[in-house]
Amino acid sequence: MKNSQIAIIVAIAILIGYSLVRLGNSSTYSSFEDALALNGEKTTVIGFLDLEGTMDFNPETVQFSFTAKDKKGNISKVIYNQPKPQDFERSEEITMTGYGTDSAFIATEILMKCPSKYNEQNEVDSDKIYK
Amino acid sequence: MEYVGEHLWAANLGRGLTALSFTMALLSTFSYYANGQDWKKLGRFAFRVHAISLFGLIGTLFFIMANHYFEFDYVWKHTSLDLPARYLFSAFWEGQEGSFLLWMFWNAILGFILTYSAKSFEGPVVGVFAAVQAFLVSMVLGVYIGDLHIGYSPFILVRELQDNVGLPWTQFTDYLTRFPNFMDGEGLNPLLQNYWMTIHPPTLFLGFASTLVPFSYAIAGLLRRDYKSWINSALIWSFFSVGILGVGILMGGAWAYEALSFGGFWAWDPVENTSLVPWLTMAAGAHLLLVQKNKGGVIPSALFMLVLTFLLVLYSTFLTRSGVLGDSSVHAFVDLGLSGQLLIYLLFFSIGSLVLLLARYKGLPKKDKEDRMDSREFWMFIGALTLLISGLQITLSTSYPVFNKLFGPDGLITLYDKDKVLSDPIDHYNAIQIPFAVVIVLLIGAGQFLSYRKTSTALFFKRQILTLAATTLCALLSSWSLKMWNPMYFLLLWASYYAIIGNLEFLIRWAKGNWNVAGSTVAHVGFGLIIAGSLVSNANKDVISKNKTFIHEEFPANENLLIHEGDTVQMGDYWVSWTGQEEEGYYLNYNLEFFKENQGRLETSFNLKPRIQLNEKMGNVAEPSTKHFLSKDIYTHVTYADLRTELEKSNEEWKNQFDLELVQGESHFLYGKYKVQLDTLVVEAPSTDGELDYVVLGAGISLRTMQDSVYKIMPVYAVQGDKANHVDTEIEELGLKFRFERINYETNKPVISAAERTEEEEPFILIKAEVFPWINLLWLGSLMIAIGTFIAIVTRIRRS
Repeated sequence: MKNSQIAIIVAIAILIGYSLVRLGNSSTYSSFEDALALNGEKTTVIGFLDLEGTMDFNPETVQFSFTAKDKKGNISKVIYNQPKPQDFERSEEITMTGYGTDSAFIATEILMKCPSKYNEQNEVDSDKIYK
Repeated sequence: MEYVGEHLWAANLGRGLTALSFTMALLSTFSYYANGQDWKKLGRFAFRVHAISLFGLIGTLFFIMANHYFEFDYVWKHTSLDLPARYLFSAFWEGQEGSFLLWMFWNAILGFILTYSAKSFEGPVVGVFAAVQAFLVSMVLGVYIGDLHIGYSPFILVRELQDNVGLPWTQFTDYLTRFPNFMDGEGLNPLLQNYWMTIHPPTLFLGFASTLVPFSYAIAGLLRRDYKSWINSALIWSFFSVGILGVGILMGGAWAYEALSFGGFWAWDPVENTSLVPWLTMAAGAHLLLVQKNKGGVIPSALFMLVLTFLLVLYSTFLTRSGVLGDSSVHAFVDLGLSGQLLIYLLFFSIGSLVLLLARYKGLPKKDKEDRMDSREFWMFIGALTLLISGLQITLSTSYPVFNKLFGPDGLITLYDKDKVLSDPIDHYNAIQIPFAVVIVLLIGAGQFLSYRKTSTALFFKRQILTLAATTLCALLSSWSLKMWNPMYFLLLWASYYAIIGNLEFLIRWAKGNWNVAGSTVAHVGFGLIIAGSLVSNANKDVISKNKTFIHEEFPANENLLIHEGDTVQMGDYWVSWTGQEEEGYYLNYNLEFFKENQGRLETSFNLKPRIQLNEKMGNVAEPSTKHFLSKDIYTHVTYADLRTELEKSNEEWKNQFDLELVQGESHFLYGKYKVQLDTLVVEAPSTDGELDYVVLGAGISLRTMQDSVYKIMPVYAVQGDKANHVDTEIEELGLKFRFERINYETNKPVISAAERTEEEEPFILIKAEVFPWINLLWLGSLMIAIGTFIAIVTRIRRS
């Protein structure tokens, strides 16, 4: 057998091995309900800020808590032990990665999607005209 | 309908040039393929016309952006009146359309050069260029055929956007002056208002564009069944590509480190990954060409690598521009609805080139004799293979969103019922990529001591005894001083030192500064430094802004420090104080003063100014500020600051408003610490001719504190006709305010509202500060890769 063929076989073996390992590194998108059932396994929930719920930021302990609603309509308290992100109130959609617990969803990472001002232009314009 | 104030000539010019550029690219493609002297001339002419009209179209877009013609959608979205002129370039390529144009610009320049330099290969090489350009121009064509639209033109007017057609405001011929929204544009994302954004995208796109040259040579070679005469040209262009693309990627890292506050230069974001992967395969392809030139026998793998690199660039384009990445990337482009077109572009070149490669595979020259295990070419092949596997791993992991689209719950074939996502991308990639990096740096270190065909084992080791000893010593010393004993990290550190020291020794002792090898050695030392710098600065990154929160060792909840204005707090080896803030343009600069303790006294060490860019339109963004030392960087950013204006703060002077319904003679508790009692109700209600003039009510209230101090107050409520007035009373010492709100007509009782004064909060900020040790190795390495590649290219051009 040629050396280069051996090398290619080894390479393919590494790639397959990697694919198997990689399965352990992935998680799924879930709802708050699913997150709780995962027993502390890391997961990602996509939802949005529930403005009727409470929102509190304590700078002394650097704890930010808010209420979020996921795409299925489940409402949960979310605790984020990082400073409150800038313009949090303006967020349209929040991607939260973390763990579900009985009392709250503990987020380790939060990504926000902010609305584009651009879409507001038409609304503003039409509003003015109708008035 | 005639609209007032629009610059329709620019729209027509821009669109006309786009159409011309597109047709000329198509014409050029067909003429070059028609093959024949006259056809070739026509192809060349058409390509040049294509390039010139492309430059004209780019110029037109610049012109309308510089002059802020806000009737144009692209201008409105990406510029604003207050945008400094120096950021015009960043604004130009902020959007998809502009960045497509930037890419086409480089393709046109490179194609232009090739019409002179490619000589006998001009036909197929520039032909491939023209075909690629035709696809790219189609992305900004903006032609609508029924519901189908081809491309998205940067010259489209706001009123022509599909969502706006037929809206009432488009009926006004003077809409530009009538509606204030057209007075100013949305402006450039503040994150991109940085000088790196002026130089990083053009460099990166030149890198992407340059991958097309070796690809075109490979296709040309396959078409002509010529596997020899183009190798040297493709080799030079491949290394050009490796150098430029590498520098472009690193510039992106420098920008992230300087302007973004995610804390580092590399975050394994899909956008970063998909630019790194073509670099990896291009480096593999370039080195295989080197083997082919010096020894031969690797044509099939070299061709495969060059073709794959360009296809990966297309795949990267598809990922970042089709919107498929969606939630998984912070900086993918906004979806323009071009995914179908992008997919056709990707599939056309993938299927075309792979089918061609397969069809010619049988006739490709293969090795006559097997490589020896102790030959340089064998290990270069292994290196190329490692780079390929590393790149494929990154591609697979980055492609999760694509797999979800194909096999997820809403996919073509449902294989799993929930979308998958990488739970911790940074750990995931680091864990898998570090072993690949170890192999690569080991090969870089050993490569120079190996000879083509056969290396004497004794000589191989004898030549590098010094290197091995020095490497081990340096690695042990570094690990000892950094306390970094993780075996994988130590192995990588050792291997990257081996690459650095081995190449330096080779250059000085064995090559004696010979220019022919200097380029590659310098670049390889640079690569070793990049790996060592990334490893040391990331693995030993230390957050010094620690607070006292503790949840779990692996739960980073304590990385932000609260500082009150004027206060001095300890942070790592330093003491830091926040001396105030100042406004500078759009920025709020927070002045931080760092002190060092010296014999019990604090001495100012340095000042930093992390800042927040205030941008009403796009949201406020924190920008870090970094103190650079030779051996470390101190990187700080403001993670929280109260950005309310004075007016907003004063509106919140009173809090906990509470209504009391008082009954004469009865005591009520207030805020759990005061006893309030209504002593008397004074009424004044004069009347003339039986008509009530006005009513004034005064509530005589006594308030007793826990310390038995008693305060007597009388808030007043006056009514005349349908107007009511209040005279509020305040108890300064207690910070309380009372207002006689009204009479509850159902119970006939007076309603008194009380409020507490909000205690003035002492202003504070939260900051995060990290130390990155030896990050300068990374930047030094980047510089050396650039210089090394430049030397290598120049010496090769001279030799050929």
